[in-house]
Parts: sequence; C-alpha cells; structure tokens
Amino acid sequence: MNHLGDLLSAHLDGELASHERSRVAEHLQTCDRCRRELEELASARAAVRSLPLLELPVALSTAIGARPDPIPLRRRPVAWVGAAAAAAFAVFVSAAALTAPEPREISPPQLNAVYGAVSSNEGAFTVVKVAGATAAAGGAR
Amino acid sequence: MNEPLPETWEDVARKHGRKIYNFAYRLCGNPDDAADLVQEVLLRVRRGLADYTPGSFDGWLWRITRNAFLDDVRRRKRRPTSPLPDHTDRMSEWSSPGPDEVLAGLRLGEDIQKALLDIPIEFREAVVMCDVVGMSYEEIAAAVAAPIGTVRSRIHRGRKLLRERLT
Ligand SMILES: [Zn+2]
Repeated sequence: MNHLGDLLSAHLDGELASHERSRVAEHLQTCDRCRRELEELASARAAVRSLPLLELPVALSTAIGARPDPIPLRRRPVAWVGAAAAAAFAVFVSAAALTAPEPREISPPQLNAVYGAVSSNEGAFTVVKVAGATAAAGGAR
Repeated sequence: MNEPLPETWEDVARKHGRKIYNFAYRLCGNPDDAADLVQEVLLRVRRGLADYTPGSFDGWLWRITRNAFLDDVRRRKRRPTSPLPDHTDRMSEWSSPGPDEVLAGLRLGEDIQKALLDIPIEFREAVVMCDVVGMSYEEIAAAVAAPIGTVRSRIHRGRKLLRERLT
C-alpha cells in the first residue's frame, strides 16, 4: 500500500487536485500511520502559523516611508486581548529593554503616533543602518 | 492574473513592506538582517520598476525578494567572521527563570523560530512562504522558479523536520 506522503501536507493546505482528494480521503479512513502523520504535520503547520506577525521596526518604516500595511497578510495577526495582553506587552517590553532588540507587536495607538509623525517623510528614501533601532522603539534603552 | 503596476516604489513599500519584513525575519531570525533585506529588496524594486512588464506583480516581487535573500546568504558564506547572531540564546537567558505563562508563550515562539533556522534553507523558505506569508503553492512555485510538485515536497519535508525539532 502506498502511503500518502506529501499529499498529506497538500491536503492540509487545501492544495490537492480534484482527482487526489478522494484517494486521500479513502486512504485516511483505513490507515493509522497516515492519520498519525497528518496530525504531526498539522501541529508543525499550526506552530509556524502561530508565530506573531511583526510590525516593521520604526526606524525601518521611517527609512522606507512605509506606514502600516493597509492590506493585511492573509493570516490574522495575533490578537492581544484584554488586560492579560496588556500585561504581557508590558512584561515583554520591559524584559526586552534589558536584552537584545526583538521586534514586537506594537499596539495601534502607538502605531498611529509613530506613523502619523513620518507622513511628511513620505517619498524620502535613504538607506539607513537600522541596527539597534528596535530597541529605541517603544522607549526601551 | 495581470495586475496593474504600482505607481511608485513607495506604494510597494507601503503595501508589501510588512510582508517582506516578516518573510525576511523568519528566514534569517533577527531584526537587523531582516531590515537590511527589506531595504535591499526595495532598492531592487526601484531599479526594476522601469523595466517591469505587466504580469503577476506579486510573482515579480517575490522573485526579487528571494533572490536578495539568497545573495545575502551567499555573501555570508564568503564572510564566515560574521555569522547570524544567536538571538535565540540571548532571549532564553532572561526568560528561563520566569514561571510566567506569558513568558512561556514567548519562549514557545522562540522555539519555533529556532527550529526554522535549523532546517535547510529551501525547506524553510517554502514553509515560511506558505505558513507565514500565506502564499498558495502556485505562487510559491512562481517565486522560487520550481514546479509545484517540488514546492509541495519542500513544504512537507520542512514540516516533518520542524516537527522533529519541536517535540
Ligand atoms: Zn497510509
């Protein structure tokens, strides 16, 4: 019996050709091994999809004159919900201030403040070295 | 799927900058290299817009993006004195004693990023295009100039390798 192999990933992504769909469905009904593999693949896929979508570092968006992306990526950004999220953000920022720069999710009010201020720079394109720029964002360091 | 040419590279920066940055960050694992790559891509876009012939704009942009990334990888190989900083380890220094669930969640993200950096580039690229950027197999195939079957296989093998590293 031929197992499904990379058809399983295509199945998860909705990328099977129509003639492959019935074969995959039938095979999965009878094969424990492929069902197990499907679960493992699904968890790896979910892990990567759980990574937060990062905002552009402020220095970079200033350098390229880009304001927030009006066309979101197809995945929804990780939602920061309620007080727990606010606390998480505060912890993350204060911890990050002590260590290496790490891009982080920026709350919408901060974004407006930051990006509103650079609109006059639109069109100016200069290549700048943005090393350490993320540490400056959010008042860290 | 023909798309109108974006009028200026500023439009490109505004519409696609964040996508390119997330792609670059997940491929190289640190903000400085990702920012450098975004700027390099936009420079190439600005130079190339004049010669752009109508077609799939996204395909054109992603070909530029991944070529810029691969050029950067090749440059690094010739310059072994400047490896990618080991960002992940520094993060874990401050977070290791934290009993906090919040920090645990953040560490989890770091684990995933570290696992991504650990798998071969062509698998990492395919997985990131699929699961971070949200491209279809067809779009990925156009961007990396490979058949769809190859893309499917790379995504599949990438996920299997990630799974091994995350358990
Ligand atoms: Zn099977």
